[in-house]
Amino acid sequence: MMRALAIGGFLTAVLLFTAVEWASRREGSRVPTLGDVCAFVMRYEVGPVPVGRIGLFGFWWWLGWHFLAR
Amino acid sequence: MDHSRELTAEAPRTWDRPVVSVPVLISLSLVGGQLPSFSAQANLYTFGTGGALIWLGLSNRVPRRPAPRRLAPGAVWWLLPAAVFGVLEGATFVLSVGDDFPTFSRLADPLLDDELVRSTAWFAWLAAFWGLVRR
Repeated sequence: MMRALAIGGFLTAVLLFTAVEWASRREGSRVPTLGDVCAFVMRYEVGPVPVGRIGLFGFWWWLGWHFLAR
Repeated sequence: MDHSRELTAEAPRTWDRPVVSVPVLISLSLVGGQLPSFSAQANLYTFGTGGALIWLGLSNRVPRRPAPRRLAPGAVWWLLPAAVFGVLEGATFVLSVGDDFPTFSRLADPLLDDELVRSTAWFAWLAAFWGLVRR
């Protein structure tokens, strides 16, 4: 029962990600694409240090290591 | 002189075209898909490919697409799937009861044992990484 809840919940999250991305790509949409959100986050800098860029790259690197090497 | 410099700056680099980058990403993914979990090779390969992409992304060697200065108000919709995923992942991680209430990565592990699925996951990871590098 709990396992089905977990699988259903994760599938719901994936479907929601897909639905929001689909909505963002419609003409005249007020929802930015996930790529635009990432690009906006990567603009964040503290002085000369691109904190947003380093943070997002680091997160994505860790994600790949976690799933593909561990 | 200035005219020729402008032409040179606007010409897309050969390796930056999809006809080059996509086959390179597919080749890297096929290699990555052969490497089993928890192996030294898989760790080294992940660190190598990821490290190279981070180096490219933090240097100015790759042209970047312009980033938006402001986000549209609809950006708040992204919180919905992120919250559903985050709450569920947090709950499964904290409760830590294994296969009865599995985390996302525990669910993904058996799928990633298949080489084709693993190569596809490698391609998705590398392609998204390449997309981030160019933003």
